[in-house]
Amino acid sequence: MSGFAAVLLAPQLLEATIRLSTPVTFAALAAVVCERSGITNIAMEGIMLVGAFFSAYVGWLTGNPWIGLLGGLVAGAAFSLLFAWATVSLHINHVVAGAIMNILAFGLTRYLMMVCYGRQGTSEAVPLTLDHYRLRVPLLSNIPYLGSAVFNQTPLVYLSLISVAALAWTFARTRFGLSLTASGEHPMALETLGRSVYRVRYQAVLLSGLLCGLAGAFLSIENSNSFTEGMTNGRGFIALAANIAGGWQPVGVFLASLFFGLVDAAQLRAQSIGLIHLPSEIFLVFPYIATIVAVAGLVRKSRPPAAVGKDFNVEGGGD
Amino acid sequence: MSTRSVPVSAYRIVAGILTFVLAVPGTILYLASYFWGAWLLAGACAAYLADRVLELGRPAFFSLVRSALRRSAMPAIGIVAALLLGAAIMLATGYNPLSSYKALFYGGLVRGWSVSVLNATPLLFTGLAVAFAFQGGFFNIGAQGQYFIGVMTATWIGLALKLPGIVEIPLIFVAAAFVGAATNAIPAILKVKTGAHEVVTTMMFAYAISTLSPVFIRAFGGDPSHSMHPYASDTLPEAAWLPTFKSFLPEANYRLHIGIILAIACAVLVRFILRSTSLGFKVRAVGNNPMAAKTQGISIPRITAASLLISGALAAAAGATQVLGLDHRMYQDLGAGYGWNGISIALLARNNPIAIIFTSLLWGLLDSGGRYMAMTTRTPNSIIEIVKSIILFLLLAEMLYQRIGLSLRAAFSRLRRGSDARTGIEKEIGS
Repeated sequence: MSGFAAVLLAPQLLEATIRLSTPVTFAALAAVVCERSGITNIAMEGIMLVGAFFSAYVGWLTGNPWIGLLGGLVAGAAFSLLFAWATVSLHINHVVAGAIMNILAFGLTRYLMMVCYGRQGTSEAVPLTLDHYRLRVPLLSNIPYLGSAVFNQTPLVYLSLISVAALAWTFARTRFGLSLTASGEHPMALETLGRSVYRVRYQAVLLSGLLCGLAGAFLSIENSNSFTEGMTNGRGFIALAANIAGGWQPVGVFLASLFFGLVDAAQLRAQSIGLIHLPSEIFLVFPYIATIVAVAGLVRKSRPPAAVGKDFNVEGGGD
Repeated sequence: MSTRSVPVSAYRIVAGILTFVLAVPGTILYLASYFWGAWLLAGACAAYLADRVLELGRPAFFSLVRSALRRSAMPAIGIVAALLLGAAIMLATGYNPLSSYKALFYGGLVRGWSVSVLNATPLLFTGLAVAFAFQGGFFNIGAQGQYFIGVMTATWIGLALKLPGIVEIPLIFVAAAFVGAATNAIPAILKVKTGAHEVVTTMMFAYAISTLSPVFIRAFGGDPSHSMHPYASDTLPEAAWLPTFKSFLPEANYRLHIGIILAIACAVLVRFILRSTSLGFKVRAVGNNPMAAKTQGISIPRITAASLLISGALAAAAGATQVLGLDHRMYQDLGAGYGWNGISIALLARNNPIAIIFTSLLWGLLDSGGRYMAMTTRTPNSIIEIVKSIILFLLLAEMLYQRIGLSLRAAFSRLRRGSDARTGIEKEIGS
């Protein structure tokens, strides 16, 4: 038991938890924005992958990770617009369209690997990663235990924390947040008020694309230094679960993502210190099992937006 | 009328028997790369059409043909458009689309036809698996996981039991189907009891199972000094292998096994279950409108469980076929992608079991042709993945065609009106 305590209380664990939860946080926030607006987005996995590829590629070409990040954002946004076009304008079933987008993203990134790097598997390493710009917040990082874990992080980790707060404020206080919620709860009511549901949903998907682009950039140019095929490893779906477990609320979703980050960090640590002599694969499964448990255990506690996943067609009177 | 009805029904019986007698060997011969089997298939088609003419009478038959042509126009246009878009992508990235496509179709349809059939075999099963769940309104996105479970079960029993093939092969299929269904029992129970969405749960199971598969391989890997030890299990005894086509058709490819026949039979069986049994009716009722089904007294939890369990069993059968038929042992990523591709195949066939036979062959063809293309030209075969997803996108975006049709019609009518107006003015001027 003392071994377990050592694992759980180590300050590095909290640092790793926050760091590893970052991509899930971004993607889960993307899920919140989409689902609150009535779009079921299972394409996040693919959007993240495309974002990760372009961050790494642009970062490698220019040598500047910030331009790489911009590349990831633009690619994520463009890919998400395709998803928005399919679901909002062409009225394809959201889940089906998302599945197709994921297949497209896997194929596209594999193809681009061959076109851009002439090989498969892992891309060239970017010369400089965002990890280089690790920021130590002057006073706060001196808080014992918490300070070194929370206030000595990399840029996108801070950005994910800011995003949580910004989105919580958006939903609570702004017209845009209200429109998003209305579009997911009662789209016809929003349309009757003279605001276009299509427009709101396009905005929501675009925002989610940007967030997934950030998640992808985190994976390829902050947490590592290159793109690997399929490197998202189901995080888009874990984020979907975090969204449900977090009750479609930015702060709740952040806590759920932290939980997934903790599971991930704990499995890495348990593996590295060789606490239990089990095949390493057993530890790798933890996040997936945790996801199933979280979805199954928490789904009843909250209510999804009423119109989520339902098609909205203005010409058909809302159906 | 009554005097004529006797000979007509006699003709129909003859036509029906002829269809069956020609279609079965024709299919087997064609699949085994005996391309003259196509003549038998053409004969079967002719007999079938003759039967339909006799059944419906000429006018009804021709209107049926016309509507069938109209319905198949969209998929045809979609596939051609996707290939054109793929060509545009190849051009833009510096590859030659003409030689690539030539290699793709030569490789897929002629040179590597047996590979296409081998690819299509597990795809047909996983496509059926996904389609069956879809018919009940569920998205078994994690068919890949149940496929791997089927692979593991088949490897395990195949290595553990030493029985004659005639006993062992059916036993393995039953066991794999059972374990596959059991795997999906957990998502099914969670769905019924807590409402946890099957997209998340089956997907997570799929990731967990493929992550754990190396543990399994090492457990059945036998000799640790062997170089393949961490990556491949031991080979199954030959008694547990599926019979090959070569055993009765000497010129067939030596790897081609009867799995494809089992898969096609399974497609027919699934069609029968969905169309002609009470279970199938209930599954489709729940899939179409759960509220209405509930009002009719159909137990939604029971049907949810049934469709997810049968789906899991079908996906596991894909894995068992792959192991028993082709690979005879388990690799680290044996046929990775058969489960995911099952989703595409089901979507493309609109969950119609008979259409899945053709879409899985199309996907198998694109896969094997793509490999041949990558070997003979410089073009990377991941372009095929892109083309596949564009095909899916274009076939599911019905709205796109309506839009294009409407705007074309509007443009035409504007043109016509414009020209009418002009002629009107000209007339006025003339007068």
